[in-house]
Amino acid sequence: MKRAVLAAALAAVATWAPAQQNESAPVPGAPRPLQIATPQEDRLDNGLRVIVAERHGTPLVSLRLVVRTGAEADPPQRAGLASMTAGLLARGTRRHGAPALAVAAETLGGSIDSGAGWDASAVGITVTTPRAAEALSLVAEVATQPTFAPAEIERYRLQALDGMKVSYAEPGTLSGLLAMRAVFGDGAYAHPADGTPASLPRIARADLQGFHGRFYRPDNAVLVFAGDIDLAQAMKLARRHFGAWKAPAQPLPKAVPAAGTPWPAPAIVVDVPGAGQAGVSVTLPAIAAGSPERYAGMVANAVLGVGYSARLNQEIRIKRGLSYGAGSNLDARREAGALRAVVQTKNESAAEVVGLVNEQLDGLAAAPVPAPELAARKAYLTGSFGRRLETTQGLGQAVAGLAVADLPLAELSQRIAQLQAVDASQVQAFAAKYFDKARRHVVIAGESAAFSQALKAAGPMVSLPQGDADLESAAPPQPR
Amino acid sequence: MGPIWLRRAVAVITASSALLGFAADAPLKIAPVAFNERVLANGLQVIAVPSSASPTVSVQVWYHVGAKDDPAGRSGFAHLFEHLMFKSTAHLKAEQFDRLTEDVGGANNAFTGNDVTGYTDLVPSNHLEVLLWAEAERMSNLNVVQANFVSERAVVEEEYRERVLATPYGRFGNAIAPAAYQVHPYKRPSIGSIADLDAATLADVVAFHARYYRPDNATLVVAGDFDPKQLQAWIDQYFGPVKKPDATLPRVSVVEPRWTADRRAELHGPQVPLPAVAVVWQGPPVADADAAALRVAAALLSAGESGRLNQSLVYRQQVASQAGFDADLRMGPGLLTGYAIVAGGHTPEQAGKALLAEVMKLADKPVPAAELAKVKTQMLTSALVERQTPNGEASALAEAAVLYGHAGEVNAKLEQLRRVSAADVQRVMRRYVAQGHKVTVTYSQGSDK
Repeated sequence: MKRAVLAAALAAVATWAPAQQNESAPVPGAPRPLQIATPQEDRLDNGLRVIVAERHGTPLVSLRLVVRTGAEADPPQRAGLASMTAGLLARGTRRHGAPALAVAAETLGGSIDSGAGWDASAVGITVTTPRAAEALSLVAEVATQPTFAPAEIERYRLQALDGMKVSYAEPGTLSGLLAMRAVFGDGAYAHPADGTPASLPRIARADLQGFHGRFYRPDNAVLVFAGDIDLAQAMKLARRHFGAWKAPAQPLPKAVPAAGTPWPAPAIVVDVPGAGQAGVSVTLPAIAAGSPERYAGMVANAVLGVGYSARLNQEIRIKRGLSYGAGSNLDARREAGALRAVVQTKNESAAEVVGLVNEQLDGLAAAPVPAPELAARKAYLTGSFGRRLETTQGLGQAVAGLAVADLPLAELSQRIAQLQAVDASQVQAFAAKYFDKARRHVVIAGESAAFSQALKAAGPMVSLPQGDADLESAAPPQPR
Repeated sequence: MGPIWLRRAVAVITASSALLGFAADAPLKIAPVAFNERVLANGLQVIAVPSSASPTVSVQVWYHVGAKDDPAGRSGFAHLFEHLMFKSTAHLKAEQFDRLTEDVGGANNAFTGNDVTGYTDLVPSNHLEVLLWAEAERMSNLNVVQANFVSERAVVEEEYRERVLATPYGRFGNAIAPAAYQVHPYKRPSIGSIADLDAATLADVVAFHARYYRPDNATLVVAGDFDPKQLQAWIDQYFGPVKKPDATLPRVSVVEPRWTADRRAELHGPQVPLPAVAVVWQGPPVADADAAALRVAAALLSAGESGRLNQSLVYRQQVASQAGFDADLRMGPGLLTGYAIVAGGHTPEQAGKALLAEVMKLADKPVPAAELAKVKTQMLTSALVERQTPNGEASALAEAAVLYGHAGEVNAKLEQLRRVSAADVQRVMRRYVAQGHKVTVTYSQGSDK
């Protein structure tokens, strides 16, 4: 076999004409800037806020009714209530049973997608433009007239419990859930949004009806249209399908404090026998979505761990081959936030990976990010942001995110400029303020025999058997 | 030309008629993709489709080589090789593709299938020329060094651990093709094994590139914001000089015989919270005339909440917590795979029996017209959703050109879908399922051997 490929330049040049011209990359021309229009909005008489982000060219519309309350409003002992409420919306209304609702939505070409996360519960669907009116009528029906039939509640509960058996067997999931518990401590953001195996059986029909009655109301909701539609058309549809929706007389309940006091920082290990890898999290309390430091935070997080070429992936995957992917995410919620570095690695490498993550957190605080690296990470951030808006679904989610976080809609068109304006000193200041060693929470789920010795050598550690990871408890696990 | 999906009757329709519901019963029409196609003298197939909806452009190169072409004793090699295409070339440093994409606001990725290996770049449109240059460069001048080879192989082994060992149903998914195929190379898992990956050498890399990474074994697709004339000039400039080797391209010619008996396989793993079961039948190749009807059958069984398997196994009988059916059609012999993750308190036998009964109903009785119309609308809407972005549109075209053998299939496929009748669905389910032999794979907690 010919070795032309690896004999490289010499053999190859002969085949290139004109060779000179092709040896170095051509220089890019002038960019065509991305124009992002600020979404339009209006309000119905009942208080429902209606937002429209237009994107024509493809005859698709994404519809989304967003309730500005989510899992942070789960009462004590009822973790998962918001999630279960949203999940049951399309499982039966005064007019239709669950199978009929599924057929109706899917006959329009889309699927009703409902769920609750932090600060919000939502029900949405994406359909072709001619189906938008019927789709909105279905969204209105499931959001405002769910019946929470006892048989559906039981069915949902069993399915959710089965789902947890599966997700709790994943080292990455287990590590992530425990990390959020450690960072938000006794706050309302700390528990798993989907609930726990212990909390779901406690949720009764009255809890679901109560949650729906208290929070699903027009003055606590936003209706988002994204795609091939304009404001006048959207308002006409909104009035027709949501005009009769009334807010209850009692005021909206006050929110409980969401941030909480973090657990003390010993590393937590969950032993998962036979785990194929260890799930490693290093998590720290960070900023709320509306923080004035949000752009610096997004850029700092991007330098650390967003995209293939960010520092964590450079060090852990590209240089050392220790993982298929290492990264970080900034989870900025309405009242508080967390930044989490996430890596899966073979069990034997878990302690080494923790050390590498710590080095990168230290490094960002210790020295300014070099200009070319900063420019590259900002380009990656702004590019991904722009691409997200290329689909009606992505556009709708971005707009809903702003509304949920109480941010102005103009932020959509200004975000790229704001990210570009962040400089190296702001990134370093952000890292110095938030990445301090004492604020980091290490959680590893995996086969602990392979890494606990090495981890213990690096600092205090608490170890738990797989079944003892109590995600409901606001109290930190005790060494035994 | 304007955005590809602009179709007057739908997109320019006015609010008073379209949005108030009168049009909902009209059949969903999707404008055809208006692409341009040519073949260079060196055999490179080029497909272009312009759109100015956003200032981005997708550049994709799909090579007609996949896991089925893994050398003997080197399962997983085509995929390992795909990772190495991001390492150095004569004029590019390792990871410089990331400099040319991520660092300017773009993105890149790659995938290895059973039949193809695809490289996808998405960049701001002013970077199009740079990416064409870079793709031509790695097609011609790959130059991987030992240290990068070793570290990237470790990454692929971590990928194996993450996707096969660390996810509860990773081992299960990975075991289905090996249990089903009798002789075809599709029998080997495309991710390979740690032992085969460890056995690979840099010499294997050189040989593989020389054998398969050549212009007459590749399809270049460009979709998005560009000037069509300028694009073709750049393609001539950068890809035109890439030499077509004289050696014949090796092709897999193994024929999978008709399965003559039902078979079973039992598999265990250390973290299996709920058992699972799969029932697999032999399917035709992707370009077969029966493929459209089989895709419709799969959608009837498993698309959305209203799919038959979800309604029957998950909702009504509650024997499964998840159930689906996949028409896993390939360039060679395909698989039709029904699967269920068993609900707590039930057994794989119960779920498998219910799965089988539901699948057989499609062979026994014609599907009602409304249900058939429902899945067609679901499938057409999904196609439209996929094609909103330059990347989605390029992928749809590349798949048509490479897997189906001609780019026009991107449009023809939707036409064939519209024409599938209830009788067609019943006929193909009789032929491939009712009259075929099946392989049942069960998966539960425990250890093998």
